[in-house]
Amino acid sequence: MKRIGVFVCHCGINIAETVDVKRVAEEVLKMPGVVYTQDYIYMCSDPGQALVRKKIKEEKLDAVIIAACSPNLHESTFRAAAEEAGLNPWQCEIANIREQCSWIHSNRKKATEKAIKIVGTIVEKSRLNESLEPIPVLIKKKALVIGGGIAGIQSALDIADSGYKVILVEKESSIGGHMAQLSETFPTLDCSQCILTPKMVAAGKHQNIELMTYSEIEEVSGYVGNFNVKIRRKAPFVDWDKCTGCGLCMEKCPAKVPSVFDRELTTHGAIYVPFPQAVPNKPVIDKDSCIYFKTGKCRLCEKVCEINAIDFEQEDRFVEEEIGAIIVATGYDTLPIVDLAEYGAGDIPDVIDGLAFERLLSASGPTVGEVKRPSDGMVPKEVVFVQCAGSRDPERYRPYCSKICCMYTTKHALLYKHRVHDGQPYIFYIDIRTGGKGYEEFYHNAEEEEGIIYLRGKVAKIFRDGDKTVVWGTDTLTGRNVEIEADLVVLATAVIPTDSTAELVKKLRIQTGPNGFLAEAHPKLRPVESINSGFFLAGAAQGPKDIPETVAQASAAACKVISLFSRDHLEQDPAIAWVDEDLCNGCQTCVPVCPYDAREYDEEKNIVIVNEALCEGCGSCVAACPSGATQMRNLSDSQIKSMITASLGGK
Amino acid sequence: MSENMGLAPPRNPPIKLTRKKVRAGFKKRVIELSGQPVDACYQCGNCSSGCPLAQEMSILPNRIIRLVQLGQKDDIIHNDTIWICASCFQCTVRCPKGIDIQAVMDTLRQIALEEGVDHFGPDQIDPEHAAEVPQPGLVGVYRKLST
Amino acid sequence: MAKVAYYPGCALKERSSHLDRSARDATVKLGFELDELDTWTCCGAVPPVSKERIMNLIAPSRILKNVRDSGSDVLITICDFCYNTLKRTNYSIRTDEIIRKRINTFLADDTPEREYLEKDNSQWVDYKGEVKVIHLMEYLRDELGYKQITENLKRSLKGLKLAPYYGCVMLRPQNEIQLDDPENPSIIEDFISALDAQPVKYPYRTECCGSYLSISSPDASTRLCYRILNSAINKGADAIVVSCPLCFYNLDSRQKAIAEAYQDFKPIPIFYFTQLLSVALGVEYGRQGFEKHYVDVTPILDKIGTSSGKGDEE
Ligand SMILES: Cc1cc2nc3c(=O)[nH]c(=O)nc-3n(C[C@H](O)[C@H](O)[C@H](O)COP(=O)(O)OP(=O)(O)OC[C@H]3O[C@@H](n4cnc5c(N)ncnc54)[C@H](O)[C@@H]3O)c2cc1C
Ligand code: SF4
Ligand code: SF4
Ligand code: SF4
Ligand code: SF4
Repeated sequence: MKRIGVFVCHCGINIAETVDVKRVAEEVLKMPGVVYTQDYIYMCSDPGQALVRKKIKEEKLDAVIIAACSPNLHESTFRAAAEEAGLNPWQCEIANIREQCSWIHSNRKKATEKAIKIVGTIVEKSRLNESLEPIPVLIKKKALVIGGGIAGIQSALDIADSGYKVILVEKESSIGGHMAQLSETFPTLDCSQCILTPKMVAAGKHQNIELMTYSEIEEVSGYVGNFNVKIRRKAPFVDWDKCTGCGLCMEKCPAKVPSVFDRELTTHGAIYVPFPQAVPNKPVIDKDSCIYFKTGKCRLCEKVCEINAIDFEQEDRFVEEEIGAIIVATGYDTLPIVDLAEYGAGDIPDVIDGLAFERLLSASGPTVGEVKRPSDGMVPKEVVFVQCAGSRDPERYRPYCSKICCMYTTKHALLYKHRVHDGQPYIFYIDIRTGGKGYEEFYHNAEEEEGIIYLRGKVAKIFRDGDKTVVWGTDTLTGRNVEIEADLVVLATAVIPTDSTAELVKKLRIQTGPNGFLAEAHPKLRPVESINSGFFLAGAAQGPKDIPETVAQASAAACKVISLFSRDHLEQDPAIAWVDEDLCNGCQTCVPVCPYDAREYDEEKNIVIVNEALCEGCGSCVAACPSGATQMRNLSDSQIKSMITASLGGK
Repeated sequence: MSENMGLAPPRNPPIKLTRKKVRAGFKKRVIELSGQPVDACYQCGNCSSGCPLAQEMSILPNRIIRLVQLGQKDDIIHNDTIWICASCFQCTVRCPKGIDIQAVMDTLRQIALEEGVDHFGPDQIDPEHAAEVPQPGLVGVYRKLST
Repeated sequence: MAKVAYYPGCALKERSSHLDRSARDATVKLGFELDELDTWTCCGAVPPVSKERIMNLIAPSRILKNVRDSGSDVLITICDFCYNTLKRTNYSIRTDEIIRKRINTFLADDTPEREYLEKDNSQWVDYKGEVKVIHLMEYLRDELGYKQITENLKRSLKGLKLAPYYGCVMLRPQNEIQLDDPENPSIIEDFISALDAQPVKYPYRTECCGSYLSISSPDASTRLCYRILNSAINKGADAIVVSCPLCFYNLDSRQKAIAEAYQDFKPIPIFYFTQLLSVALGVEYGRQGFEKHYVDVTPILDKIGTSSGKGDEE
């Protein structure tokens, strides 16, 4: 019979306060196969682990059980310790007497009884456990980065610089994301283009980066190290290999399309590049706006293009790639003003959002950096900024803080003052949140030196009165309501996840949190990875973030990928399903129940086999198999039966 | 809207903010006279927390500063706070933004006096008392609280 | 005997003459003489707030210039208001060039000066804040040294529990006054220790007594004084030590109103620091002006004994 050792942890007082750990150790020692038991205050500590290692050798143990916290926390810790002492790691089991016992009970006597039963169950399992070997899986050392904002660009550059290949997929025709729209950036007021465009160019030229702009993810299958990705390359109706980017076509195109990049403050033709510094600097034809595609007549662009790069016959293409790891960096959007009924629902021309104001401030924007209001081009002298427009409003809009608006609104007011010296900015706010390096100082400077009036209160209503826009707010600091007849109102609209992210996560089968942002595996300890292995997160797609934080996370995600790629192969947990070929009759009942597509029908043998790299060991197939051909390693039917008996207190 | 002749003004009308109000006139004068960067005040309230006379005031010192920021002259000069402040400098030594609140209070008293809000005259002091109080008290009270 | 230029100020000449007298007596015992300026005017009691009111700075500036011209570089004051006004005026002159120029223009316009100027233009020297304005207590601490006091004690204040009261303008505004830490000062405590008495620390020692509000809002001042006195009493103080005539007046004579308003209140004697110094150095009780006090000080005097071996002059 196996010689089993059981180690009972006090977890400080977390367990010991509710469970009589000494008694657990005593009782468990009476169970068949258990030859040694010991309790200890912190099993996971260095001396705790040393104790386990020492006793494995001294007592010649064949298996150990650690009765402690959830296996999520320390299973790998103790398996490593067991392995160090010469034991097969799968001969180490965890009995969870904290989350499943001490934390949820208060009656010491009953809790102790329950703890003894929990350990007893694991003893039963342990007796029949086999020694297993991890399954090696090869890694395709090529990364996919989805989203070409500053996050995606940074991740791609970092991975590419370390020598691995990267495909950077961007749905628009140029990379750059929102940062390309910004004028100057807090807290240092660097010109956004000046710090971004060199990175865009670097990404465009890097020999290890393959840019796929105007492209979207169509399908993803496979698993960490071995994804198969199908990418749709949308037809730009321009042969980019031929096109020199001369721009003649764009000059001649008679169509007028509101520019998304310029927040609809300007228009461009149906054939366009979103902004002059685009990478790649190649136009696309927007099929929905193109006169030729709508009416069958026009083709002006084709006529003016001297090298015949226009190609109306182009169709979407698909490419397939084998990928080892995926970084999702699809960024954010902002809440449309239309959703904010009390702020005019988008009907007041001089109520704009922060990104539109960025365009008005930008030297390369529609007004060449002069602040002019949309309705009549007047230089506004009284400008009201409204923070938390749709943020921190759990009843009607978004419950969370959008995090960046406090800082960019102060920046807006400041830049406005730099451009319109006799203008007056007012900022309505609920709180000013400036927790970043140099941020509080930035805010203080704005308040002290620039004469910006901060008003503590949320704006209730904005309406049009003649050419003025009336703002009804309050100032809780004086206890007085405030009314301002503004020339221009800028709303710091909530940062929201993009619609395309929602579609994408379905294809990737990764999770989002309650607010629609990508979910991280652990909010503190694993903030840049998805719970699904092989997927990493970067930038505002994971939650509202400014550029410094975005870049930090992007580099961190890249690091995770590089660390993955630095190994020759991955080790897959062998405690997964296997098929007894003699018993399987090829009925395929199990195939559709597997949530991970790990069941494959082998026609030749008329059996189903397990793709070991995909199987997560969930057990659905075991339950579904009518002939008992499918079993879980180290969780066989006979193990489960004796565990149930033990848990009911039987012998 | 036609001018209302009969009704009393509402009790708490909204402050109508304009560029002029928050940059020129009263507010500008307070800043110039006192030399204090009142816009730097971020309303932490430290000045009020420690003001020994706060319990006697109907508006606390931090709110006085706030009203200056918004150019609300009338709310300030027709209020008792500036007359109750004893110029003890407690607020001044503690302001995290380096604002000499006492100097602002002095300025506001001066402006109020200029506007004819004479708060304390020689006739208001009882002669017996006047004969006893040390001179700095008498000189101080007249300098600070009357024209 | 060494002489140090001394500005008494209005209060000390009349209503608070006991502060002046005890200071003069004590300093003589310590080997130097307070040398009152030949001519002086009221300093104005409070410095003006704005640069517009430059006229308010003329009087204190003239006092300071006269001190310099008479060849002194140190000026002692005792009244906290005079100290504050003179020191801050000096600070403005030292740090603000515009104020310095404007003041000197005014000073030069004074008739005697003008004659002076006409005689010999080169004789005029702008006053640039050369004089060091110094509080008597500061002089005792920094120039003389408290040790000198302890070594010359004639009466023993041992066992007396004395609570210092700083009030406002002796310490604040800190950047201009620089006498001590405005939140946790120790200059009076150390003085009390030098007298061999026991200093009592209490939270209200730097809280305002109401200052001149005593005249315009007497009730407010009464409430403040009650808080201060009560805080000292609760910490076991036998008496309170002050340096300012207005503090003295408020803390002492307000006790009448306090007793009427607060049943539980028990009176506590108030002393000028100079009175205790003078007494400890052996000057007779009769010269201290105790009759001017509202609260009877005899219970405290009864506790004062003679130092072992040093003898009593009385
Ligand atoms: C008004 C305003 C002012 C700001 N000012 C500042 C500032 O001064 N300083 C500062 O630090 N931060 C500022 N920010 C924040 C800054 O914009 C963000 O931190 C930064 O842009 C986040 O970068 P990102 O790459 O994560 O997202 P994004 O910039 O949104 O980039 C995401 C990219 O992914 C692409 N994409 C989306 N979905 C898909 C898909 N399914 N497939 C392929 N591609 C996809 C998008 O087209 C986009 O190019 C400001 C934000 C706003 C709204
Ligand atoms: S064919 Fe379409 S893209 Fe070309 S010029 Fe006409 S409208 Fe513009
Ligand atoms: S960052 Fe500031 S403005 Fe934006 S939601 Fe948060 S608190 Fe509101
Ligand atoms: S202490 Fe200074 S910053 Fe704080 S509220 Fe008062 S004046 Fe404003
Ligand atoms: S100076 Fe005036 S406002 Fe400031 S703490 Fe003293 S009494 Fe209060």
